[in-house]
Amino acid sequence: MDIWFVISNAIVLATIYGTLAIGISITWSSLGLLNLGYGFVFAFSGYGAWLTAQYISPWGGAVLAGGILSGALCGVLINALAFIPIHDKPNFTMRGMIATLAINLIGTQALLWWFGPRSKSLPPIFGYWKVSLGDLVLTGDKIGSVVTAILMLVIVLRWMQSSRRGLEIRAMMMNPHAASIVGIGVRQTSFFVMSITGALAGLAAVLLSNTYYISPFGGLTPMIKGVSIALCGGLGSVRGAVIAAIILGFNEAITNVTIGGRYVLITQFLLIIAILLVRPRGIAGLLDRAREA
Amino acid sequence: MSETNEVKWRNPLAVWPGGKEIEELPTNAWHSHQDVWRARRESKTKLYPVGRLRYWYKFAGHGGRLWSRMRYWPTRRRVLDVRGEYNRKTLQREKTVADRRPIYWLLCLAALAIAPLLAPSNMQYTLLVAGATFGIYAAINLCWNLVIGIGGIFSLATYSIVGTSAFITAYLSIQYGFSWWMLAPIGAVVGLLFGAVIAFPATRLDGFYYALLTLGLNELCRVYFTTSSEFGGSNGGLYGADSYIPDSWSSDHQLLLGYYACFGLMLAALFLHRFVGGRRIGRLLRMAPEKREAFAEATGVDFRRARVWIFLIYAAALGFIGGFYVTNFGGVSFSIFSFDAVLLGLAMLVIGGIGRPEGAVAGTLIVVFLDKVMLGLGPLRLVLVGLIALLVVLYLRNGLFGIKTQFRAWRDKKKSEHRSTRAEKGGEMLPEEATETDDKGIVYARRFDKMTRDHLKTLVSPEIIEEHRVTLNGQHSDALERLLIYFRTREQVEKYGILNVVPFKNYRIVAFSGHKGVPPRLVEDRIYPSYDAACHGVFLRRVQDLLES
Amino acid sequence: MHGTVSANPAPEEPKPGAPAVLHISQLSAGYGPMRVIHDLDLIVGAGQRIGLVGLNGHGKSTLFYAIAGLTGWQRGSIKLNGKEVGRNRSQGPGRYTHLVVRSGLALIPQGDEIFHGLSVEEHLDSGAFTAESWRDRANRKDRVLTIFPHLKTLLTVPVGRLSGGERRMVSIGRGLMTDASLFLVDEPSLGLAPKIGRAVIDALMEIDLGNSAMVIAEQNVALLEGRVDRVIGMHVGKLTGEASAALSLSGKEKG
Repeated sequence: MDIWFVISNAIVLATIYGTLAIGISITWSSLGLLNLGYGFVFAFSGYGAWLTAQYISPWGGAVLAGGILSGALCGVLINALAFIPIHDKPNFTMRGMIATLAINLIGTQALLWWFGPRSKSLPPIFGYWKVSLGDLVLTGDKIGSVVTAILMLVIVLRWMQSSRRGLEIRAMMMNPHAASIVGIGVRQTSFFVMSITGALAGLAAVLLSNTYYISPFGGLTPMIKGVSIALCGGLGSVRGAVIAAIILGFNEAITNVTIGGRYVLITQFLLIIAILLVRPRGIAGLLDRAREA
Repeated sequence: MSETNEVKWRNPLAVWPGGKEIEELPTNAWHSHQDVWRARRESKTKLYPVGRLRYWYKFAGHGGRLWSRMRYWPTRRRVLDVRGEYNRKTLQREKTVADRRPIYWLLCLAALAIAPLLAPSNMQYTLLVAGATFGIYAAINLCWNLVIGIGGIFSLATYSIVGTSAFITAYLSIQYGFSWWMLAPIGAVVGLLFGAVIAFPATRLDGFYYALLTLGLNELCRVYFTTSSEFGGSNGGLYGADSYIPDSWSSDHQLLLGYYACFGLMLAALFLHRFVGGRRIGRLLRMAPEKREAFAEATGVDFRRARVWIFLIYAAALGFIGGFYVTNFGGVSFSIFSFDAVLLGLAMLVIGGIGRPEGAVAGTLIVVFLDKVMLGLGPLRLVLVGLIALLVVLYLRNGLFGIKTQFRAWRDKKKSEHRSTRAEKGGEMLPEEATETDDKGIVYARRFDKMTRDHLKTLVSPEIIEEHRVTLNGQHSDALERLLIYFRTREQVEKYGILNVVPFKNYRIVAFSGHKGVPPRLVEDRIYPSYDAACHGVFLRRVQDLLES
Repeated sequence: MHGTVSANPAPEEPKPGAPAVLHISQLSAGYGPMRVIHDLDLIVGAGQRIGLVGLNGHGKSTLFYAIAGLTGWQRGSIKLNGKEVGRNRSQGPGRYTHLVVRSGLALIPQGDEIFHGLSVEEHLDSGAFTAESWRDRANRKDRVLTIFPHLKTLLTVPVGRLSGGERRMVSIGRGLMTDASLFLVDEPSLGLAPKIGRAVIDALMEIDLGNSAMVIAEQNVALLEGRVDRVIGMHVGKLTGEASAALSLSGKEKG
């Protein structure tokens, strides 16, 4: 049945975009940095995964690891360039955002210059098997993507809940000034944050390589989708991002079926604008009661 | 504080009949009181002649003529903000141009106006095309500056408004044969409608939420226009709209006309910026920057309405520019919606400095020069633009035109730090106090007092105290005499006196309050057997106070 | 004769063998062009509890921030347990704070510098930032909970929902989670009802300092009167009152 196919597709996309959105959300709320260089991280880790598949091993796990590691590396790079030098200077939020945009511009042009404009594709990561559930046929690819993305998210969120580093990051998300008084080094912690969010982007890049082939500018659309989900969920809220990802994923599925794929972005933006007009802080405005206290 | 006892003081009066029996006493070696001054005033670092005001030409002013000023005709606005001053050093009247920016603007615009005549002939084509592009982009950025810099709305929808208006006007011109002069006004209407749709979220959302939303909007427009067949989805854009440049002209003249038309557009945008930013609406918006809206609202500023207004003006102006773009280039391509266009536009604003018209124009000039003239660099051009933008953002607070204020803030901070290493306490006024004291004489009196005390402290020694004990009155050695003169000239408050409790037997030390009606207070429980001992006691207290000050 | 009159009274160093917990000399600090602390000297010995009294805007908090490295710029020497933590160049505020904190400072800031979304327990954990205190955090939590037994019932509640007095307890408890040698408590009673403020101060007084020291900044002198080892006044960025006498630890008598 067509609608089941679309819905399963939407769920897959929602989990992957959710991964991106959570990365953006965490970066914003813990570092105060709006990382619009995410498209570059995405493209960079895609190329990292491609190089791994090309020169090291085409085995799925290795490719995935290559993508995640290069994503983390790229996150660290952006942190060193755009966060460390200006995080304590005046007007940081705007300057940080523009710095990441500039890095995006430089990075994508450098990738274009190095790898050329032709897009690359990765070997299948999860094999070619299928599962049939009545009408619904799920490919190994879809199940693998959803499981991997959710697994990674659960690991990251568990780590943030229970470890010392995670507590530091969460403390910094709540109140950076108090965090430095408690003895949390902002610069040290920022490297952890950026490498983790970079790794999330790397994972998403590898998982999405079947939808968007790896190209220098291929990170743009995923980044904008991730940003809009993060925006709709409320910047800084993980739960809000998850809910927003599900809502927007279903919106995409329903729009595709009813009025056609051309209008997906339009309905999506109308939806986001509607949500933001009601709740200027996104869905998180409904969830977190202690936030404005 | 000499350690040697060899230095003796000889009483010059000892040889005279009736003189004291004491002829010689140990005392301090003499040293100049200037030493303290010199040590104090010496700089530990090398000093350079400072100040650049000596290079400034000051017009001679006249009190009467100062008031006959040039004004823009129907208004009371002055052409130049000239300030009349009185120079305290030369005792002359002077005129100073307080705001020299109009002069610089005029010079730069004149240079741009005659630039085509100076262009080298082999680069003529490239330069004129780049110049036309510069004019259009400068106009776009000036309008953008209205909302980002003055309105405080971080809108990234600029190029989607321009592009939408351009596509619609181009479509109208091609399909329905609208002639060139109708395109720009129609574009303005399209822009106004577009702006009206997206102005509503702008009043509710915080800056960055709105930035992300409009970034998405840009992508939405790109996807919509590239996938639709009416807008030439297959051939990369819409071309063939009516142009204001007559086909019959030679190509040189066509280029020149294009250049000057775009230059005129930029001038129009500058006027718009001046009249919107400098008038009431600009003031209202400057009162309500981000995070201070509540304060502005409390003072009665309806910032939401002002924001909607400026947003509509911005959108209409951008729509107009979109229509002009179509008539200038005869069409429009999809690249206007690309993310790189937004990035380049933002880079132009950031390099010059957000919030200032000169920043927008200068930034546009730099980026357009790199992008359209240095064609030989290939894709490296964009990398170069990105690098410049990155460096500017990392090191400058507000672009190239913010360097001055940033440098001043940095210099003030350094000054204050260095001052903190130099200044020490001890009665002397700290620089912060000194600036707030009207009578500068007090500052110097306090400083002189501090120096004197520093010198006198070096004179206190056991020999001097012994000398004072032995010869209370009469001739003293140089060091002791200096100390006593200083003590005698102190003010009345906390000055010591001797209270005679029982005549010739019982003396105590009191301190005067210095206020009428307030009696002196006893300072210690000690009882002195004689008047001389009490005098010496007062001396010791004074020395103690001096050393502790 | 007054034998104490010496021509060159040198400021005396604290006795060797027992280095002062905090030894500030010639400290100036400020923000940008503004200078808030003027050439300040302060010595805090081990086991001392000191009250710092002064009006608003006279630099009490800035002094604490300068010790923690949170001011815009500072000059002069700050020795914490004999280790130099003051910096003589301008640095970004907070850039080295975590290093200062690691060398034994616990700053309990003014007002509500808390993490709204964390629960009380997580909040206390966040005070135990070093690896040793992290491993030992269960014991330390028990210790804090014996001081503030009221918090036992609130362990899983987000701090954002607590009342002002409870927040202050959490904030102080967070500071006590470390094995710091110097506790700086900024205005513990500010903004609290008088009774609760007194209770907070009482709790501070009951803490067994051992070898560490505590400085409490407070506007309400009556709360501290007679309960601290000494009270120092602060006036336009300088120490006044007993400070000068207390500075020379030898206890010199005036003639």
